[in-house]
Amino acid sequence: MQEFLQQVVNGLTIGSIYALVALGYTMVYGILKLINFAHGELFMIGSFLAFTLIVSANLMEHIPHPVAGLVAVFLLVALMVAVIGLILERVAYRPLRRSSRLAPLVSALGASIFLQNAIMLVYGGGYLVFPENLVPNIEWSVGGINIGLMRVIILALSISLMLFLYLLVQKTRLGAAMRACSLDHDTARLMGINVDRIIALVFVIGPALGAIAGIMVGMYYRQINFTMGWAYGLRAFTAAILGGIGNIPGAMVGGLLLGILETIGAGYVAAAWKDVVAFIILILILILRPTGLLGERVAEKV
Amino acid sequence: MLKKLLVVMVAAALVVAAAGCAGGGKSDTIKIGVQGPISGDWALEGQGFVKAVTMLAEQINAKGGLLGKKIEIVQGDDKGDPKEASLVAQKMVSSKVIAVLGAYNSSATEPAAGIYNEAKILHITPSSTATKLTEKGYKMFFRTCFLDNRQGMFAADFIVNTLGKKKVALIHDNTTYAKGLADWTEKFLKEKGATVVFNDAITPKEKDFTSTLTKIKGLDPEVIYFTGYFSEGGLLLRQARELGIKAVFMAGDANNNPDFVKNAGLEAAKGAIITTLPLPQDLPYKEAKQFIADYKAKYGKEPESIWTLTMADAFRVVVEAIEKTKSTDPVKLAEYLHTQLKDFPGITGPITFDEKGDRLGSVHTAYVVNEKGEFVLYKKQ
Repeated sequence: MQEFLQQVVNGLTIGSIYALVALGYTMVYGILKLINFAHGELFMIGSFLAFTLIVSANLMEHIPHPVAGLVAVFLLVALMVAVIGLILERVAYRPLRRSSRLAPLVSALGASIFLQNAIMLVYGGGYLVFPENLVPNIEWSVGGINIGLMRVIILALSISLMLFLYLLVQKTRLGAAMRACSLDHDTARLMGINVDRIIALVFVIGPALGAIAGIMVGMYYRQINFTMGWAYGLRAFTAAILGGIGNIPGAMVGGLLLGILETIGAGYVAAAWKDVVAFIILILILILRPTGLLGERVAEKV
Repeated sequence: MLKKLLVVMVAAALVVAAAGCAGGGKSDTIKIGVQGPISGDWALEGQGFVKAVTMLAEQINAKGGLLGKKIEIVQGDDKGDPKEASLVAQKMVSSKVIAVLGAYNSSATEPAAGIYNEAKILHITPSSTATKLTEKGYKMFFRTCFLDNRQGMFAADFIVNTLGKKKVALIHDNTTYAKGLADWTEKFLKEKGATVVFNDAITPKEKDFTSTLTKIKGLDPEVIYFTGYFSEGGLLLRQARELGIKAVFMAGDANNNPDFVKNAGLEAAKGAIITTLPLPQDLPYKEAKQFIADYKAKYGKEPESIWTLTMADAFRVVVEAIEKTKSTDPVKLAEYLHTQLKDFPGITGPITFDEKGDRLGSVHTAYVVNEKGEFVLYKKQ
């Protein structure tokens, strides 16, 4: 039982990262019906920019309090990646908005390859290692379950960000506008909503969340390289589908569930089988509920 | 007309070349070939080969040579490339060497070995460890390096006899190399009466191994031995400590990299043990100390790597065989190496060959990470 609970905690840590990244996929899909394949790369760029700020620019040294330093790193990186997300939308997707659905998809793949190679050229192809002790090495053992401070931060920060996003979308006028856009662009425009603005907003929030996930991966595992966006991107995309793509709580549930399924697959079957276990369950869920766990039934537009 | 002229010129060139060869054969020297990547990606290693052998040959020539003849070194640059390696081998055969030492990498050694075996030339590689090389029944082929499985033999012996532990978890990453090492270690551990509670793979390129480690924690091993690469090794070690696993952490030679310590963090890395080939200066043998001192005096720096030393041993073994058999017939030399040579005091330890031409024993050793995060030789408390 103790081991099982430990595995659940392990799974929640990985899963909350998946969930944060999955939100970026699902929000863009919800509004544009586009799968933003470059999103995994934005996540990766987040960890590289954090590395630059912490190691190369020595930002932490210039800020008196370590917690304030970390907050500054998170905010600055989220802001920079949000700007990259905006530019991406402006350059790679907006010009193609009126073309076939396949064109932006190809453009997204192209953007992904471009960003990956750009990072490789700037930072090199090897691993970069984050410094130790960004977060004090505190560990707790509760009833035989071990958990370190960084994992607590990952869990707490992702869950609060998800809650914040949920409230933003469900309870504010801006959120109502976003939901309207995801239903129908033209009707939303008739209601006086600036659709381009809302799309831009989605390309700010998604990348910023992805970047924060990227920083946390960098700080916790401390080892980053330019291909890491692909592996996390793929899992997060799967998580988004598992929960029902286009559905924000779905991405959260999907991410956490995928994380737990993976760890249980690895812990009770074998590490080599963890993806098999996770994906068999994904297939089963999609057979039983083709729109994903929380996906809504959409009336056919005629 | 032009064609005729060309034919005449080529013919003339051939005659000159042949004369050159014949002249070389008649001269009073013993020719030994050195083949390796003297240029290209591994140039440092290839140049180390040449330097080691040149130095030893000069030492012998200064004392009057072998059987009254001087030793002449013939260099062949194969750039580590299999195609170049067969060209070099053919060149070596036509320049009438009695033995060739090299090549560096297994894929260059493989085509050359066939050619030398056919031409009845003694062939010793100092560094190609692929198992299949000695599986072809070549009578003229030897190696002064050790097969891939010897690290497993060493690790098992170290765990049971040096650490005195009996309950081991093995983690690999499903690459041929790492899985091979894990499986060999398991086999040798069981022979020594230890129990292997876990032997399974993690997925390389991933970052989170907590699920596998949680499973291992439940099995409560005394030692965890990871046979994969440093990029995962450091992460595994730190996550193991975070989960409260107290077992001794050991890792294979692919973790012999400063990034292993950086990834794990100093706190977790301290006390981790790496099984690997020793640095030249850490070899305990007096032949090694002598060779390294001579090498530094002549070239002004340490030997390039352990392979410079196994190359020197390859040369010294040939010299020993010539002295003992009083012959330069490669077939006789090979037979001597197969049957007569026992525990020859090599720079890298005692040398004995088995019937396949593989070297018995192992030269691996254990390093431990100290408080400063450096790898230092493991010493039993």
